[in-house]
Amino acid sequence: MQLSSEFRENFEEQILQCSQCGFCQAVCPLFAVSLRPAFNARGKMMVLKEALRGKLALDEQVLDSIFQCTACANCSHHCPSGVDVPGIVKAARREMSRTGSCHPAFTGLSQVLAQHGNIYAEEDPPEFQRLLNQPAEYVYFAGCVGNYREEEASETVLDLLDRLELNYSLIDEVCCGGVLEDMGLQAVAALAQANLERILATGARTVITGCPYCARTFLERPEYQPLRDQGIQVLVLSQLLAQLELPVTTDQRVTYHDPCDLGRHCGIYREPRQVIAKIAPDFVELAHNRDQALCCGAGGGMRGAYPKNSLAVARRRLEEVEQSGAEVLLTDCNSCVHNLRNAKLRKQKIQIYTLAEYIGRLLEGAS
Amino acid sequence: MTPGLGHKLKEALLAIVGPEGFSEALIDMVSYSGDASEHSHRPQAAVWPRNAQEVAAILSLANQERLPVVPRGAGTGLAGAVVPVRGGLVMDLARMNRIREISLADRLVVVEPGVVFAQLQTALAPSGFSFPPDPASGKVATLGGNVATNAGGLQGAKYGVTRDYVLGLEVALADGSLMRTGSRCMKSVSGYDLTGLMVGSEGTLGVVTEITLKVVPKPPLSATASASFGDLRQAGDAIRQIMSSRFTPSVLEILDAECIKVLNRHAGQSLPEAAAMVLAEADGYTEQETDLQIRQITQAFAENDAQNIALAQSPEEAQQFWAARKAIGGTLFSLNNTMLAEDVTVPLSKVTDMLVGIGETARRNGVLIATLGHLGDGNLHPNLIIDGRDPDQLARAHRAAAELFALAVELGGTLTGEHGIGLAKASFMPLEHDETAMRMMRQIKRTFDPHDILNPGKMGL
Ligand SMILES: Cc1cc2nc3c(=O)[nH]c(=O)nc-3n(C[C@H](O)[C@H](O)[C@H](O)COP(=O)(O)OP(=O)(O)OC[C@H]3O[C@@H](n4cnc5c(N)ncnc54)[C@H](O)[C@@H]3O)c2cc1C
Repeated sequence: MQLSSEFRENFEEQILQCSQCGFCQAVCPLFAVSLRPAFNARGKMMVLKEALRGKLALDEQVLDSIFQCTACANCSHHCPSGVDVPGIVKAARREMSRTGSCHPAFTGLSQVLAQHGNIYAEEDPPEFQRLLNQPAEYVYFAGCVGNYREEEASETVLDLLDRLELNYSLIDEVCCGGVLEDMGLQAVAALAQANLERILATGARTVITGCPYCARTFLERPEYQPLRDQGIQVLVLSQLLAQLELPVTTDQRVTYHDPCDLGRHCGIYREPRQVIAKIAPDFVELAHNRDQALCCGAGGGMRGAYPKNSLAVARRRLEEVEQSGAEVLLTDCNSCVHNLRNAKLRKQKIQIYTLAEYIGRLLEGAS
Repeated sequence: MTPGLGHKLKEALLAIVGPEGFSEALIDMVSYSGDASEHSHRPQAAVWPRNAQEVAAILSLANQERLPVVPRGAGTGLAGAVVPVRGGLVMDLARMNRIREISLADRLVVVEPGVVFAQLQTALAPSGFSFPPDPASGKVATLGGNVATNAGGLQGAKYGVTRDYVLGLEVALADGSLMRTGSRCMKSVSGYDLTGLMVGSEGTLGVVTEITLKVVPKPPLSATASASFGDLRQAGDAIRQIMSSRFTPSVLEILDAECIKVLNRHAGQSLPEAAAMVLAEADGYTEQETDLQIRQITQAFAENDAQNIALAQSPEEAQQFWAARKAIGGTLFSLNNTMLAEDVTVPLSKVTDMLVGIGETARRNGVLIATLGHLGDGNLHPNLIIDGRDPDQLARAHRAAAELFALAVELGGTLTGEHGIGLAKASFMPLEHDETAMRMMRQIKRTFDPHDILNPGKMGL
């Protein structure tokens, strides 16, 4: 297999920049649970260096290296040589998908999305009984996990938004499409097109997402440039909640998990903590927090392609939660919540919520 | 392309470690082909033993089959010591990662070789004790690797290197037997010092399966000072004065003019441009104690025409002083795609001569060499930074490195203070060691490993 000239031009320098010091091993969640250096960023860069030198082909044999990564960016964050590992991994996946060596868990994902509009190939969108595709100040965008895997949580969040008297509408949303690029697949233009049209039609000035990954997609990807052109703000829930009065508090001891997509990728650490400060005086930080946070294991396609290691990564995070003594683990990402809940052992009594869901539940309990 | 193992051999290995402990997968072979050096070669297979018995059984089998075995820690070595140049098996000890015992009463810890340096420091922290040789790679490197390379750190001058803390070992030998060396005692002159022989032997004599390390209390206070020098000779004189005083600084670091320039240009620092910047730390149990020492040091700076002499007034300010030193490693790495990180070491009184010689070597060969160093123990790190894709630059860098080795030896120094010989410096061994010493080393190797299966091709043996 020939590497594309685009790959060489854009990534050869970066890949060679890896000095193989191995410092990424100290922070790679996959190395921590597998102790296998092949999965760590250095292992991936070594594979790609050999590919650049024509010593190996990027084919099925290297699948478990290139496609096994949560894109948590802890490696690049700590890399003395400044190597953008998530960007390189994405590009390598693109090379592999281009030549028919995509991970089997994702081949056909483009078709699934084109056909069903969500990553789970679900037929029936949830019925939230709220304003839909109507003029409003805000659009609430739940995302695939919020719509099809954490529906109850989404319902609670919408109740909260109602209570806070937010003027919002839902839209007939389809997947934001970000996942395709992360898997190295062709973007499906129709997805972004549909979301854009429907968001713009509401006249909303702000989009609130239940998922920081959707937010990143809206903020960063070229397909969503029209949102930026029109000055439409994209916020995650904790950014919205940080601006509002929250008429409820709790005695429970809570802690907070920084989602990689919100923290290391977007640098948002303050707002979720501001929200927590309003409602929960008994707050403890996890041992690894903010830009040092451990990953929940869900991202980068890990949950779909490597569920065992994905859950092992989540368990490691939960161990840290246990050590913190917190009763409640809060975060601001449906995907993190979903994976951490799945990984929770029966004997672990931790409750896991998104911030908004937790506040919604507190309010329900209070009324 | 390296051929795989034969079917029978593979079955025999599987019988020892099970399917979870064995791999021939391409991605593993690639990730085990190198370390932090420029050397690389794929092994034929990898094993992840879980205990000393499995290690011994693998060695016994490999010995019969004449299969090379390369023990591996975290692969952070800078000399290619862990590169399986003759193929064979990489034996990754990462799964032997338990701290077996912490005994403050005996002032020791017992660990498995795959324990990461930082894991031990974290476990010791609440007690106020530590294992002082702190390699810059300590977040990743394993204690097995530290022992096999006799790793050192910033505090070498006052607290020594790994060797000074290894009380005893369990080692699996090439024939599959397990050997215990040393004791749990603070002192012992019982028989030959087999422990000492194993330390720094780079996996060529046996596989370390358990380590008994001395730990010491860590003084809670420290004072930090920095200064810059317009001339390397003045810096050298200041250091000579410090080291011949009655005090030993806990840290004494130098950054040369190239390092300063690089930090100012690429790491947002605003250090005064100078021939050298020196950072010193004195530790102790009371402020009076640290103060007394650090004033000796700043006085030595002043008496040797240092500029910008500064004494940190708070721990936060001290952190700022150290920020430059902490940033330099990463900043140098990010300058280009290849860095030969050398570690020539010279007698303390020859540090200036070596620093001056490094500058001349850089100019002569047209290679960027940025040097930092642990002045308290004479260990200098000239980092040769090049574009490794350019054969001409590579050749010039290797020529420059060879000249540095020759100069160090000429000054009564050594090829390597802490990174080891591995592949990178194998051919230079006879430069430093006379024929008799080389012969004795080869005989020792043959006694331990008659079939040359343990990390073959290393150390010029
Ligand atoms: C950025 C950077 C900074 C560094 N800073 C320092 C520093 O400050 N001080 C310093 O001393 N070094 C430093 N090093 C070098 C390196 O980290 C050390 O040599 C370290 O001790 C290697 O440990 P490791 O676990 O990575 O060993 P590896 O690289 O895996 O192996 C090194 C050698 O030890 C042998 N070995 C490993 N485990 C065993 C075992 N159980 N039994 C027998 N042999 C074994 C291997 O065969 C090999 O010969 C640095 C490296 C990098 C990349």
